[in-house]
Amino acid sequence: MIAIIDYGMGNVHSVSNVVNYFGEEACITNDPQVISQASHLILPGVGAFSSAMENINSLLLKGVLFKEVIQKGKPFLGICLGLQLLATHSYENGIFDGFGWIDGEIKKIEVKESDTLVKLPHMGWNDINITRQHACFDKLYDIEGLSFYFVHSYYMNVFNEMYLAATCDYGIEFPAVIIKDNIIATQFHPEKSQDNGLQLMENFLNWNP
Amino acid sequence: MLKKRIIPKFLFNNGRLVKGLKFHNNHREAGNPISTAKVYDSYGVDELIFLNIFPGDESKTQALGMIRSVSKDVFMPLTVGGGVNSLKDIHDLLQAGADKVSINTAALDNPSFINEAAKHFGSQCIVVSIDYKEVAPNVFRVFSHGGTTEKDFDPLVWSLKMQENNCGEILLTSIDRDGTMEGYDLDMIKLVSHSLFVPVIASSGAGSLNDCMLALTAGASAITISSMFFFTDHSPIKVRSFLRSSGIDVRASKSSRN
Repeated sequence: MIAIIDYGMGNVHSVSNVVNYFGEEACITNDPQVISQASHLILPGVGAFSSAMENINSLLLKGVLFKEVIQKGKPFLGICLGLQLLATHSYENGIFDGFGWIDGEIKKIEVKESDTLVKLPHMGWNDINITRQHACFDKLYDIEGLSFYFVHSYYMNVFNEMYLAATCDYGIEFPAVIIKDNIIATQFHPEKSQDNGLQLMENFLNWNP
Repeated sequence: MLKKRIIPKFLFNNGRLVKGLKFHNNHREAGNPISTAKVYDSYGVDELIFLNIFPGDESKTQALGMIRSVSKDVFMPLTVGGGVNSLKDIHDLLQAGADKVSINTAALDNPSFINEAAKHFGSQCIVVSIDYKEVAPNVFRVFSHGGTTEKDFDPLVWSLKMQENNCGEILLTSIDRDGTMEGYDLDMIKLVSHSLFVPVIASSGAGSLNDCMLALTAGASAITISSMFFFTDHSPIKVRSFLRSSGIDVRASKSSRN
């Protein structure tokens, strides 16, 4: 069973649709009991960092996830905001602490005032550059680039490049995929990225780090 | 770099897809929503937009069911609009599988609804749909209620106001060009997309491959195409390959699943 962590931020259903598409049982939950029984954990999410952390803290999920992911080593996929929450802290509308699993900070993508055609949010399909091979990248379909669907205005500035697995370019170069041990996190939405997104999610579901 | 997006736009009317002309009610039949969505998925289009034009609560329920079915099989961003006027409506659509909702009349009736919606759900999922018409030579006005009620706003002024209220995207639709296949309103697209920092989706008027190229060159982040896909032999694959050969950065990949 795959636990999709529900902390009231964003469309958990598209993620569970993909899990079901591959014939796996998806459980949308914030119950520590259920989470402890899952083989793989997915942390999706869209919206503001501070509200997300507030919800996670009030549901006491930080400790639950620490136990399952860091201590027990379960395969974990963070998506979009679910990547950003892994950072040490975020500068989105203030300074807020994240999980601190990845040394890094969340910063806003800077757009030059003069360039109204570089839009924010960074919304749409963009190519990623894989910087480190990994089982989760198996069988991706590259026709003149590997495009995935992004929607975000903030990115993670990673302090340790060792955890960088793919980058994306939007005025600045920022992490598209971060991998550390049993943790993989994508800034893009694999659940909305058609074939390659589905392939990446299938790879994750089959991943036994 | 970020790709320009090609987005089929569907009008959903009482269980079926239809296509209109200049917002009049003389709709042409355009197919079953679920099978049509799957066809466009197999073409690898970048997103889909569904606008529910049938009024009433029963119709809202029907649209939710349609999105629920589509999102089980189609894994790309889905924008849904039509009669969205409460946080509950937005919540229901997102729960059903929509990624973004498009809001028109409710924003004109109460502009702060957009702030409120963005605060609750994040601006990335709040698309403001702007329908406008040329009411006198070079005088443009925004319309609500499916193009029937004129509002005292110029489209540029209104789009800047909506950006200030934290919407994530603007869907800019020329009523005059809807269904005509005579080309996009390039002047307005240029004006609005160069004045805003949020992405602008240009809508209405696509009739040829060249029209698509011109709208994207004018500054649109994305274009919607309806009649041209429904009633001509231009497919998304053809549009994409034409745009790529014209030097516009759109996705090359074609769906290989199935």
